[in-house]
Amino acid sequence: MSDESQVRLEALLSDALRPIEPPEDFASRVETTLSAITEQAAAELSSWADELSESELESLRDPRNWVRPVAAMAAGTLAGGALVIVGMRRRRRSTGFRATAGSVLRSVRPSGTAPRR
Amino acid sequence: MSESATDAATKAELDRAFEDLYRAHLRDVYSYAYYRVGNHHDAEDLTEQAFLQAYRHFERARRESNGRPLRPWLIRIAHNLASNYHRDRARRPTANIEAVEPPSHPHDTEQIVEGREELRLVIDRLDRLSDDRREALIMRFALDMSNREIARALGRSDGATKVLIHRAIKQLEEEMEKE
Repeated sequence: MSDESQVRLEALLSDALRPIEPPEDFASRVETTLSAITEQAAAELSSWADELSESELESLRDPRNWVRPVAAMAAGTLAGGALVIVGMRRRRRSTGFRATAGSVLRSVRPSGTAPRR
Repeated sequence: MSESATDAATKAELDRAFEDLYRAHLRDVYSYAYYRVGNHHDAEDLTEQAFLQAYRHFERARRESNGRPLRPWLIRIAHNLASNYHRDRARRPTANIEAVEPPSHPHDTEQIVEGREELRLVIDRLDRLSDDRREALIMRFALDMSNREIARALGRSDGATKVLIHRAIKQLEEEMEKE
């Protein structure tokens, strides 16, 4: 392969594989999901620590007593994950043609008017 | 400062660092995902999953990176997710890189027609490369990653990565000449 043809091919590749900008609404959606997760994690952590009495904190220093909190955290994480997935699916369902059509219909139809059958 | 206040400050600092990482590399992860799966819908899913997974392991990754950039780690997560995506869809028809439309260019109409054909040919021929060669080229040209970054993302040595990219370009040129 000559240097010239390699340079030309590399230029073509740079052109063909240009960076792709993510859609604007997508970027803000991911940010919302991530903030929700960080806030939820912080809230869970602080409420869990607040609820512990001195004797409970003392007993947690013994590794034999770690099973219950670890199981609770695992359940919390799973529930949090499920919530995120449900939220994402709900968002996805509410977009798309049907949702758009619904909102357009609501905006043009006088309030209280049922669709004609 | 109490122990819980220190924990909260550490957590806030970690979250800020993750936000910086997210803002700096959202386009990289999205571009990589798009060129791997070939459509915006799945690229969005893959990017979102990559950042959720990155957030989960961010503290450890940061600790173990010894101050090195985390982009290769992030792309490696996206790379693994994309591999799972293709494995899960192995029995179904997949949208591969052939489905990718060449990006539009702000040039004259004639140049667009001629140029887009050539770009389409490059994208089509990219699909004939093995997965590792194609991925290395996506990282190099779409993400402008250095050999060292690509090596870290693919879990290879610097030397092996250099050879991989060289062979990928050579094969691509041969594929282009077959037309």
